[in-house]
Amino acid sequence: MAGKSATPATYSPSPTTGKTKSTLLKENWIRPDARGFHQCRPAFFRTGAVNAASGSAYAEFGNTKVIVSVFGPRESKKAMLYSDSGRLNCNVSYTTFSTPVRGQGSDHKEYSSMLHKALEGAIILESFPKTTVDVFALVLESSGSDLPVVISVASLALADAGILMYDLVAAVSVSCIGKSLVIDPISEEENCQDGSLMITCMPSRYEITQLTVTGEWSTPKINEGMQLCLDACAKLAKIMRSCLKESASDAQDESS
Amino acid sequence: MVGLSLGEQHFIQGGIAQDLRCDGRKRLTYRPINVETGVIPQANGSARVRIGATEVIASVKAELGKPGMGQPDKGKVFIYIDCSSTAEPAFEGRGGEELSAELSTALHRCLLGAKSGAGAGIDRTSLVVVEGKICWDLYIDGLVVSSDGNLLDALGAAIKAALSNTGIPSVKVTPGASNDEQPEVDVSDEEFLQFDTSGVPAIVTLTKVGRHYIVDATPEEESQMSSAVSISINRKGHVCGITKRGGAGLDPSVVLDMVSVAKHVSEQLMNKLDSEIASAEAEDES
Repeated sequence: MAGKSATPATYSPSPTTGKTKSTLLKENWIRPDARGFHQCRPAFFRTGAVNAASGSAYAEFGNTKVIVSVFGPRESKKAMLYSDSGRLNCNVSYTTFSTPVRGQGSDHKEYSSMLHKALEGAIILESFPKTTVDVFALVLESSGSDLPVVISVASLALADAGILMYDLVAAVSVSCIGKSLVIDPISEEENCQDGSLMITCMPSRYEITQLTVTGEWSTPKINEGMQLCLDACAKLAKIMRSCLKESASDAQDESS
Repeated sequence: MVGLSLGEQHFIQGGIAQDLRCDGRKRLTYRPINVETGVIPQANGSARVRIGATEVIASVKAELGKPGMGQPDKGKVFIYIDCSSTAEPAFEGRGGEELSAELSTALHRCLLGAKSGAGAGIDRTSLVVVEGKICWDLYIDGLVVSSDGNLLDALGAAIKAALSNTGIPSVKVTPGASNDEQPEVDVSDEEFLQFDTSGVPAIVTLTKVGRHYIVDATPEEESQMSSAVSISINRKGHVCGITKRGGAGLDPSVVLDMVSVAKHVSEQLMNKLDSEIASAEAEDES
């Protein structure tokens, strides 16, 4: 994509392209980053981004860059009552420079609870009673599909921390623009979407942990959107799994 | 939280499996719904909805404001839900905050559609007075007076009723001298425009207990749920929003099945609501 910096680790706010709605509503429009409608952005995952955390992961989907660290399981706060099962505490925050307009990231207060809801079904909470696992996500650069990326990276970080889970959680969203469904939308597409559908699922178990839909959808369209998301989730989970295997084999090489 | 003994839990689950719930209802039957409109004179529109012992009040206030920078052709709608501690001691202080936020987001998703405004129950373009300069800001406030399960459906119904009760004052605009100037407006306090609510969807929450799902769950039944899916559906039978609660995963085919069941149920609910709203309006006027 144009404007991609040479070193991806450098934080730089994405250049705001002046794409307006009209360009996206033409009959035969192409996506601003020239992807196919059903083509995801290339995903890059790396575990172990933060040393202090029990587990962490970093990911880049195009210009969307997210870092997630997992702390714990550690003792729950004193005020918490005794509980047989573990607790999950999630927080999603944006850097002030993550959005084209400074400090816009605070619009997404509901993301923390959505992350919690997406993950709680996948974690075996009974495996760490009386304690809390903290999941902190930071969006370094926001460029569309932030929440699905955060959720996928968070599940990778949890796996890196060795928290017992039923399966990895992969999340993908599709946007409905005009009559077409586009997968993994970027900000410009999200800003003019007529509807959106996000699925977080555990691909190996073929179970949906969280599902949100906005805008008007007919049943066949929901069907199509869900299938699109589920297929993409399965592919995404494969990439995540290979990233975990890579880091595990690296660790083995070092110790031997 | 509801504390239930093992026996009670089995009783509820068994009842749902046999399509006979504790209060004698079938799985897809609602409790009696009662609608009253015009309960708050200070608001532009208001309604009180009772479903069983759940009681919620919704009020709509319209204020003149400026359209947002990115969307000069749309008015603004704000939805806030307050869970009063009079409903449940657990809501005291910050206790109700989490639930309030969850309900507001869900209602936002169900009523306002996507960013472009397509498929929204509330047509925001109808709120514009002068494009780019003046629009109506709708403040929709929901209050949970008494909580006995199924809050989201009740709030959705109350907002629908309150909106159909809403009268927006008609406005006379005197254009300013130059284009940049803010035009002067004269708000009439006698003439009101009725708000069009034909597109406002109804919200149906399907609560999954065991292998079956039920509508209008009581707190006892909610405590036994594995997950719940709230689906908002409009008159055309199109889905306007889906939110999922509860941790357990769902098979994709179950979700699609839920959507078709919700479609069926929402039709009955919508008819019931419309007739209740009509009779409440008639009572209000007399």
